[in-house]
Amino acid sequence: MTAADHTVTVAKDLADLIPVFFRNRQKEVETLRSALDAGDFKQLAQLGHRMKGVGNSYGFAKVSEIGKRVEDNAKTSDKAGIEACIGEYTEYLAKVQVVYE
Amino acid sequence: MNDRAAAGTSVEVQATYRVLVVDDDSDMVAFLARLLEKEGMVVETASDGQSAMMQVMTAPPDLVLLDVMMPGTSGFDVCRQIKGDETTALIPIVLVTALEDSESRVRGIEAGADDFLSKPVKREELVARVKTLRRLHDTRKELESRRLAAEVQRKEAIRKAFSRYISPRLADRITAEAGEHGDPFQGRAQRTSLVALFADLRGFTRLTEKNEVGAVVSMLNEYFAILTEAAYQHDGTIFNMAGDSLLVGFNVPFPQPDAAERAWHTALEMVARFGPVAAGWQQRHGLSVGVGIGMCAGEAIIGNVGSAHYASYTIIGNPVNTAARLMQMAAAGEVLVCGPLYERIRHLVPAGRVAPRGDVTLRGKSESIPVFAVSAGAPEPA
Repeated sequence: MTAADHTVTVAKDLADLIPVFFRNRQKEVETLRSALDAGDFKQLAQLGHRMKGVGNSYGFAKVSEIGKRVEDNAKTSDKAGIEACIGEYTEYLAKVQVVYE
Repeated sequence: MNDRAAAGTSVEVQATYRVLVVDDDSDMVAFLARLLEKEGMVVETASDGQSAMMQVMTAPPDLVLLDVMMPGTSGFDVCRQIKGDETTALIPIVLVTALEDSESRVRGIEAGADDFLSKPVKREELVARVKTLRRLHDTRKELESRRLAAEVQRKEAIRKAFSRYISPRLADRITAEAGEHGDPFQGRAQRTSLVALFADLRGFTRLTEKNEVGAVVSMLNEYFAILTEAAYQHDGTIFNMAGDSLLVGFNVPFPQPDAAERAWHTALEMVARFGPVAAGWQQRHGLSVGVGIGMCAGEAIIGNVGSAHYASYTIIGNPVNTAARLMQMAAAGEVLVCGPLYERIRHLVPAGRVAPRGDVTLRGKSESIPVFAVSAGAPEPA
């Protein structure tokens, strides 16, 4: 992945909401891990569904995309698939850059 | 969840269109609120179905933006409750569902949702949908206010028409009870128990002989103004005004359980209020005048009587005829009351002011009736 892949353009009028948005995403990673450890696929499906809805609303298509995979994998109880999603999500959140316009 | 969604805070902007955003995801709430506020709308938020219902019931918003998947009460349940209550059923609801979730849309339609919005939410789509519903909302409000204005105008016209004959309080009541189809008296002809009060001016003939036409009319107007005011004060209905006589009915057109008492107080008021005026006329014109009153209770017919060109809402029957005869017999300042009515008001009449006239056979009547003469002094408190 290039740096450009991790750059997201967000509308200026949402700028003050973004720090909170990211804090909640970091918390989400923790919740995903806890749910996976507990084997709570119902919660994992809900978390994935939520990521799917909120991510691209703010402009973070990748968050929605990972969320959809988490939801799909949770429905088939695919632990390894979800593990991979959480890893990808963690990496994405570490690298993502926001540009406002 | 951030503080905003948890606390259900409201952001005040200079607008009158209030949107309630309901979502358990605080980021979605913040996002949707920001976009709506930018459009000049007032946004209130709720993080679950139960608090959303509370807010809708306590301060109904103009529109609800409602997430479907929430823990506890789902968006469908909230939607169903809002649409199921007649006081909130007209609030437009936009359900926010996942794009590919067609099953949710079907359930949303069944729950009464007005529109749908897909997650992830596209700014343009949100604004367009909300603005469309706002336009519909404004149009509905405009139509409603026009309908209300027309209704007020119609009732005012009825009130004006009837307030010439009945007290303002009764006119208000009739207009309040008037249905959608105009004349509240239409088809109300019926036999009913009532009290009829006839009043006329003793010394009227001399008054007309001794004064110019203009002066006579002016004096009559003064006299009728006093009598009308007294009748209205006790919610009597004026059925006829001819020459110098006035017919007032009680317990018609609406029930008055205390009709007899109202008639009695009206008679006292008429005599007492006209007293100083009569004294003035005596002084200025050398005229000896006074009010004579006849009252009777019984069954009579009330309704519209006349032709297609001229009709009068009036009362017809024995108590009316008897009251008219008693009025003719009454001296100035005297109230003649038929027996049945006297029994109903005797507790109000001071012993020293009543004199039984015995059984009197009235002109045109075969049977005699007991009559009581009451001299009317200062009015008693109503």
